[in-house]
Amino acid sequence: MLSISVALKREKNVIHLTHKDIIMIKKEMIYRNPLVNLGYDSEDILPVGGFGAVMAHAGVGKTALLVQLALNMMLRQNSVLHVSLNDAVSKVDLWYQEIFRDIASKFGIDEVNHYGEKIQPYRFIMTFKVEGFSTPRLEERLTDLMEQNIFKPHTMIIDGFKFDDAGRGQLMQLKELAVKYAMRLWFTVHTHRHEPPQENGMPLSFLHVEDLFDVIVQMETRGEEVFIKAVKGKSDPSAKNDLLLDPATMLIKNGN
Amino acid sequence: MKADNQKIRNIGISAHIDSGKTTLTERILFYTKRIHAIHDVKGKDGVGATMDSMELEKERGITIASAATYCEWKGYEVNIIDTPGHVDFTIEVERSLRVLDGAILVLCAVGGVQSQSITVDRQMKRYKVPCIAFINKCDRSGANPFRVIGQLKSKLGHNAVAMQIPIGLENDVQGVVDLVAMKALYFDGENGEIVREAEIPAHLLDEAKAKREEMVDAASIFSDELTEAILNETEITSEMIYAALRKGSLQREITPVFMGSAYKNKAVQPMLDGVTHLLPCPSDIENVAINMDNNEETVALNNDPEKPVVALVFKLEDGQYGQLTYIRVYQGTLAKGSTIVNVRTGKKVKVGRVVRMHAEQMEDVEQLNAGYIGALFGIECSSGDTFTSPEVNLTMLSMFVPKPVISLAIVPKDNKSQLAMAKALNRFAKEDPTFKTFVDHETGDTIIEGMGELHLDIYVERMRREYGADVTTGNPRVAYRETITQRADFNYTHKKQTGGSGQFGRVAGFLEPLADAEFVFENKIFGGSIPSQYITACEKGFKQSMAKGPKLEFPVTGVKVVINDGASHAVDSSDMAFQAAARGAFKEAYLRAKPVVHEPIMKVVVETPSEFQGAVMGLLNQRRGMIIGSQDEDVMCVIEAQVPLAEMFGFSTILRSATQGKAQFTMEFALYRQVPQSIAEKIALDVAQNKKSAA
Repeated sequence: MLSISVALKREKNVIHLTHKDIIMIKKEMIYRNPLVNLGYDSEDILPVGGFGAVMAHAGVGKTALLVQLALNMMLRQNSVLHVSLNDAVSKVDLWYQEIFRDIASKFGIDEVNHYGEKIQPYRFIMTFKVEGFSTPRLEERLTDLMEQNIFKPHTMIIDGFKFDDAGRGQLMQLKELAVKYAMRLWFTVHTHRHEPPQENGMPLSFLHVEDLFDVIVQMETRGEEVFIKAVKGKSDPSAKNDLLLDPATMLIKNGN
Repeated sequence: MKADNQKIRNIGISAHIDSGKTTLTERILFYTKRIHAIHDVKGKDGVGATMDSMELEKERGITIASAATYCEWKGYEVNIIDTPGHVDFTIEVERSLRVLDGAILVLCAVGGVQSQSITVDRQMKRYKVPCIAFINKCDRSGANPFRVIGQLKSKLGHNAVAMQIPIGLENDVQGVVDLVAMKALYFDGENGEIVREAEIPAHLLDEAKAKREEMVDAASIFSDELTEAILNETEITSEMIYAALRKGSLQREITPVFMGSAYKNKAVQPMLDGVTHLLPCPSDIENVAINMDNNEETVALNNDPEKPVVALVFKLEDGQYGQLTYIRVYQGTLAKGSTIVNVRTGKKVKVGRVVRMHAEQMEDVEQLNAGYIGALFGIECSSGDTFTSPEVNLTMLSMFVPKPVISLAIVPKDNKSQLAMAKALNRFAKEDPTFKTFVDHETGDTIIEGMGELHLDIYVERMRREYGADVTTGNPRVAYRETITQRADFNYTHKKQTGGSGQFGRVAGFLEPLADAEFVFENKIFGGSIPSQYITACEKGFKQSMAKGPKLEFPVTGVKVVINDGASHAVDSSDMAFQAAARGAFKEAYLRAKPVVHEPIMKVVVETPSEFQGAVMGLLNQRRGMIIGSQDEDVMCVIEAQVPLAEMFGFSTILRSATQGKAQFTMEFALYRQVPQSIAEKIALDVAQNKKSAA
């Protein structure tokens, strides 16, 4: 259980981070959560065994968005397994620290590092070399963790998965894994600038597996700004189709 | 001294114990004419190898602390630098490896890639040191250099390519075939000093051609010119091959492999050619310093001898003429008679004698140019200090020195040991800023403090070996700290009337937690309820209380004290009375401020073969470790975790037995974190018991 009596300093006066403050951060994160605002209901967004995808060109902020999503889960005490096929553990850890700090500073609370530490046990980072990644290997690692009661993920993020090279078979295996261990899986999907989208807005390299996904969102830059739009799976059709994001926190900006 | 930096090689020789590092170095010194006779490591002639300058090394036939030395080979100046055999002292490792530009990884033709080869290889990888490999002991029974090349690929992930093939192995070792020049090389003369070129023996020709093709093919990735020559089937020159291989080696993308037998005087010279052809010169390596005047930004250093001097002290040695300071110049020219500044202390010093070192002998020089290594006399400094010209304020290493996290009481066995111990401690504290020593006034024990169990173990062992100080050690103690978690008010009156003038002082205010500093004192008294001359006494009193927490007697950190009221007496108030009042007030408020105990948490990185990943994670988990993540790297896997130091005692033994000795770990201090309630209770119990037994 998370302890909520963390002493914090705000400006020159010492205050205590009370239950209220934590609730406020959580509320703000949910309130400004782009996915909820795009009309995806339920806290988890994905069902058990479900797949979600964040699509964008390189450098738009796919990882940042998923880290923000993960932090949201961790604040609600849901465990997140972050699998990165690009970066080292230390770099992924830095993503979390930076984004958490940015989110906290947006709320005017500068020193929630203590709280960042408290939610850290709800996260586990696993990195593989792209060529060394396979579902059986992932399952082996996962069983190592679960059997010894070290970590049981509620949600898994796979960052850097090569959809161009992976056959449908590998995703099917991952689906089985997700169902078996009652997890939800989020992927980043790297779309190429030279590859024109198909009629339904999907890149060609993703079409062969698109049906396996419950939720697909797309991020794009327009000038200096980053927008997010719902492509598949929203449950509230009346919700807005695209939203402006704050690139530092990947939460929605005021005035959306 | 040559001014051409292109012809300098600053190299380290890294090896598994007993793979022949010292013998190889001895042969290098012989062939480069730095020494005129060869002595065996375990010398029957009673002299011992030249690099083993310490008595104990000669006696045992191992290298404990080899000296830095230089030699010349075909117009190139080669500095051979001591490489640390341990990975645990982050600061020391960083310091030593920064001085190297390249390295020779020595492997045994029989033993192949052994656990320590893995360690030294990781060090080089971490610090991006380019290397070539030398497969030694080809004369031993069971020698198989190509099996070792296979292990270099599979176990260490090197793109290893053979530069030679052996002519005869085991008892029949005769020489090597140079695959670049396509010549057979034999080593004649009493000590193999005459290199004789000959045609490749007919029975090896096909193998040589095939291996050359492999080597050229691997090299072609780094050179368009070479690729074109292959495709156009034009002549492939040795220069083309060396240029391509050098490019690959510098990027650590390829590892050229030489082979021979240092003991039998076979094929050491071609390896030296390899050092000159394939390893970087100082200007091939980008060195950076931290600019202390500009927000600690990194600045790239330039090998230009005209620029301001930047030089790093990497080793200290006590000689008969006082302290000898080994230094590497990264920028500018360090000349005799010039003035340099120690960036850490800000002290200016005049450079006296400048020497080049050759094991125990030395040679006076006028100056050291950028890229060079030498030694200074009569300079007071510590290892890791940076010296610069007075006009710049750059440092080669971060000035941040973490506070020690573990302590150990040491007791000398006799008077002689006591003197030797004092001398050793003084030296170690100078060499290593993370090693501290003091005398505990309560127990009278000498306490040493450092960054880990092994860190202290090694110093205790060095004390015994190098200084002859026989000491016994107590149990290691973790440096716990106390802090408060909530605000608490105090209003305390210190009053004593025992004849004569009394003592009186009242202080009121509050304590509150402080996140980013150890102690802050704020005076908010208006109207002079405590006369201003006693305020400092109040601060002093509170500060004294911080040294030993009222809860468990650990040092207290992170407390802000605010005083806003008080009272004094015209006659009975004094500095002493207010100090006592402050101490009383602290004690009164402290327990109400909900004190907690913090413990040092270490960042532990375990590198293990993948098959033991689960077991290692289990071990870390059992030790209250929080695993940050795991990184799969082909056959190996790196696990990062944060583990309380208190749980890490004896971890190396447990890790070894759980992984058949194949896993290794490094540990460094990360942060202080609150101890869980159950553990805090246990600590309290231990403290109470210790107190009882001390009484």
